[in-house]
Amino acid sequence: MNTWEKLKPKGDQYMWAIIFALSIWGLLAIYSSTGALAYKKNGGNVEIYLFQQAGLLLMGFMIMLSVHTIHYKYFIGVSKILIWLTYPLLIYTLIWGIEINGAKRWVSLLGITFQASDVAKLAIIMFVTRELARKQDTIDDFKKTFLPILAHITAICVLIAPENLSTALVLFATCFLILFIGRVKIRHLAIITGSVVIVGVILFLFLFLVPEKAIRGMGRMETWKHRMESFGKHENNPDKSYQNDHAKIAIATGGVFGKFPGNSTERNFLPEAYSDFIYAIIAEEYGFTGALIMLMLYMFFLYRAIRIVLKSPKAFGALIAVGLSFSLTLQALINMAVAVNLFPVTGLTLPLVSKGGTSILLTSVAFGVIMSVSRYIEQDEPESETEKLDENSVNEKEIVAT
Amino acid sequence: MDSSVKRTILFLIFCVIGAVFIVRLVFLQLLDDSYLRSAQNNVLQEQTIYPARGLIYDRKGELLVYNDAIYDLTVIPEQVKNLDTTVFCKVLGITKNDFIAKFEKLKRGKGYAPYRPSLFEKQLTIPMYAAFQEKLFDFPGFFVEVRTDRKYKHSNAAHIMGYIGEVTDRDIEQSDGYYRMGDYMGISGIEKTYEKDLRGVNGVRYILVDSKNRTQGRYKEGTFDTAAIAGKNIALSIDQVLQDLGEQLMRNKTGSIVAIEPSTGELLALVSSPTYDPNLFIGRDRGNHYMELLRDPTKPLFNRPLAAPYPPGSIFKVLESLVGQQEKVLTPATSYACHHGYLFVGCHAHSSPNQLRGAIAISCNGYFCQVYRSIVNNPRYHRVEEAYNSFHDHVASFGLGKRLGVDLFGEGAGFLPPATYYDKVYGRYRWQALTTLSLGIGQGELGITPLQMANATSSVANRGYYITPHIVKAIAGKPNPNPEYNVKHWCTVDTSYFPIVIEGMQDVVERGTAYIARIPGIEICGKTGTAQNPHGKDHSVFFAFAPKDHPKIAIAVVVENAGFGATWAAPIASILLEQYLTGKHDTRPALVERMLNGNLTHRDDSIPATKSETF
Ligand SMILES: [Zn+2]
Repeated sequence: MNTWEKLKPKGDQYMWAIIFALSIWGLLAIYSSTGALAYKKNGGNVEIYLFQQAGLLLMGFMIMLSVHTIHYKYFIGVSKILIWLTYPLLIYTLIWGIEINGAKRWVSLLGITFQASDVAKLAIIMFVTRELARKQDTIDDFKKTFLPILAHITAICVLIAPENLSTALVLFATCFLILFIGRVKIRHLAIITGSVVIVGVILFLFLFLVPEKAIRGMGRMETWKHRMESFGKHENNPDKSYQNDHAKIAIATGGVFGKFPGNSTERNFLPEAYSDFIYAIIAEEYGFTGALIMLMLYMFFLYRAIRIVLKSPKAFGALIAVGLSFSLTLQALINMAVAVNLFPVTGLTLPLVSKGGTSILLTSVAFGVIMSVSRYIEQDEPESETEKLDENSVNEKEIVAT
Repeated sequence: MDSSVKRTILFLIFCVIGAVFIVRLVFLQLLDDSYLRSAQNNVLQEQTIYPARGLIYDRKGELLVYNDAIYDLTVIPEQVKNLDTTVFCKVLGITKNDFIAKFEKLKRGKGYAPYRPSLFEKQLTIPMYAAFQEKLFDFPGFFVEVRTDRKYKHSNAAHIMGYIGEVTDRDIEQSDGYYRMGDYMGISGIEKTYEKDLRGVNGVRYILVDSKNRTQGRYKEGTFDTAAIAGKNIALSIDQVLQDLGEQLMRNKTGSIVAIEPSTGELLALVSSPTYDPNLFIGRDRGNHYMELLRDPTKPLFNRPLAAPYPPGSIFKVLESLVGQQEKVLTPATSYACHHGYLFVGCHAHSSPNQLRGAIAISCNGYFCQVYRSIVNNPRYHRVEEAYNSFHDHVASFGLGKRLGVDLFGEGAGFLPPATYYDKVYGRYRWQALTTLSLGIGQGELGITPLQMANATSSVANRGYYITPHIVKAIAGKPNPNPEYNVKHWCTVDTSYFPIVIEGMQDVVERGTAYIARIPGIEICGKTGTAQNPHGKDHSVFFAFAPKDHPKIAIAVVVENAGFGATWAAPIASILLEQYLTGKHDTRPALVERMLNGNLTHRDDSIPATKSETF
């Protein structure tokens, strides 16, 4: 088999189509939002943003295709190494990270600048799924199985949280879901839920009750407090809700079919419309229809990933695929929720659509892993698949019935 | 917990998330219109700020072209409320029916929208504008917009100035987004050649406009606005006094005057007659005036000095004298006899035989036919066409038969037949000197524009080189803006062959055919010419330069259908030389009077009522 033959996209063709559609759509939206006056003026040549993104997406595709040719069983080994590399990386970032917009999230290694949390995301999801797949027989053992996994999850999230709370929360939620699908006892999960609620309430109270003076200088804490406040009572504070208001105007003026590509007017008012608020621009230019279709694309992608796990619930591959898909979709949902003002501003981007740098490449690795699973699970167990397929189709009907 | 229950839970979670989003989007995009009407729901509007167009001066700093404010009345129909039509119509001087008709026409116009400003009345008169300013408060929805238009202070030099006009769709396409509908640009003359310098750079102002098109303020405090950059002022090489005198002298005559400063190539005067008042091309009736001039059978729009080809007549004799010497077939001592001409070319009565200098002075046709013959039959060359081509190239090096590259539009190339032309007419090897003998006296197929004629004269004055004639002396105070116009174009005739010819030319004025052009105290070198005209009376031609040493001016005058060169062209040139070199032209009042009043046409080019306007 020659290299090109091997690189042909295999696996779930719907998922490939969605990846492709989102990338192209993102390109169009980025080109449109950089048409804003601010970008035209600074340098004049706005095509450069388009070419940058196109170049990154192209590299991303190459990564996806390459990764998806690797059998996912090799990731089991990789995950163990990766998790132990992640800890020093996160600590390094906390201390020597590069500060951008007041958050120390970036790290520059070997000439490449990237967000450590992007790597950590991959590492912890792969690690958790590995452990779950490995210890399926002793899955009910709290001390031997559950506690070590939980310890890792908590450690990673705690290391990410100070500089990037939203990512830490998304990651925690993702891991929780993996545990849920991975047959961890509900009682154990309830313990986590309970602890999280308690920690959350304490943190919330802390932020609101402690006077502003006390947390001044405590870095991100101040920002969190302000974001939550501006989300809660934006009508009294027009300055801070500027972004939200213009996002809402963008969406509201989009109407049913939108203003059509390239006609956004709010791009001139939304700062950096191409990243955090790109969904608002899409809703403005493509209208209610476009906004709904984009939402559906992400949801459908997750649905296709869950199908894999339904087919082979115990497999490491299935768990990792659904874990990564869930992480990406959740990120997308939160980004969109921010744009429609259902959620406070987080800084999470819309995967594949938002303009990004190296995060696109790490996202592509995640997509590559998902597609590898999609590809080899069908190849490896064609006989057992058909058996299970019948059973599953019955189950799916049941689900629809509920 | 059973795995199917888990699936159900998952499914429900997604259903809920999806539903929340859909409800939110429906609410925001389809139901709630508060954000559609939000105070912050602004649209960016780009307003162009037009810079003042550059002014134009003459070589001495006299203002020629300036900008005049023009007041356009615009209306935003939506904002017109409780209008007292009677008062309004009275101020504008129109009837109520006119008013209704105007509004109807407005509504049918392209791009009309009730919330957008539309042009209601173009170019209000000053009294109208004053009246409007006073009562504007009573006419909500109406605004007076100020624009600038050109104004030509001296009402002359129309062909040099050209004019500005509204851009066409093609101009807009070719401008890379600079021009927009309704913008003005230079259409001809200086206004066109130096459009980019004169126009300046448009500024942009970004304004926030709400959903009702009401201005809400500036976008980001004007951070992205750019200021308009005023157009550059241009100093022409033209001498306004000389130009004006030239135009007056050419009144009721058809023809051209071109005056050049030989050492720099700067055009001192460029007269095309008949001419028109450049102020006709501004204001409300610009289009009508243009059509009138276009239909005029005397073709006042035709730029004769740049484009009209004439058989050059005697200037060719001067060039032959130089080329003959260069080709070693002629010396100052060469003598030919002439008895009323040579073969079929006639000549006037004069003493015979003559040497070169004398032959130039009396403009002997017979002599120069023989010179031409000796050049073309030069035994140095194997074939006639080789010899002819050599002759052709020498002549061409004086700038004949090609566009010189003046910085004005509409320059013609004239015609200097190459050997291949005669091959076509007579067949290869089937023509020789005698076949083309009329060339020897500057007649035949030759066509030379007055500009080329003056340029060739300038080359003789410079003893062997010319600088491409041009009309701009400085842009924004920077002299010689175009490096192309600093280059000396050397002719292929050695400097040493010029003095004897120049002596001959001086004789022409001192005691020869152009005695009438003589001015005591000024050494003028010139040559009369009579260009044969198959369509009627011959053209009167004279070209000259002065003073003989260190020439300051070279001039060519062509008066169509005026007969001998000495009758009209030479005196006119002489008056202009005197004016330019001495600053006045009052030593020969009778001659000046005769030239000014001479009417060689059936026209009546009356003097414009306002010769120079005060402002
Ligand atoms: Zn003679």
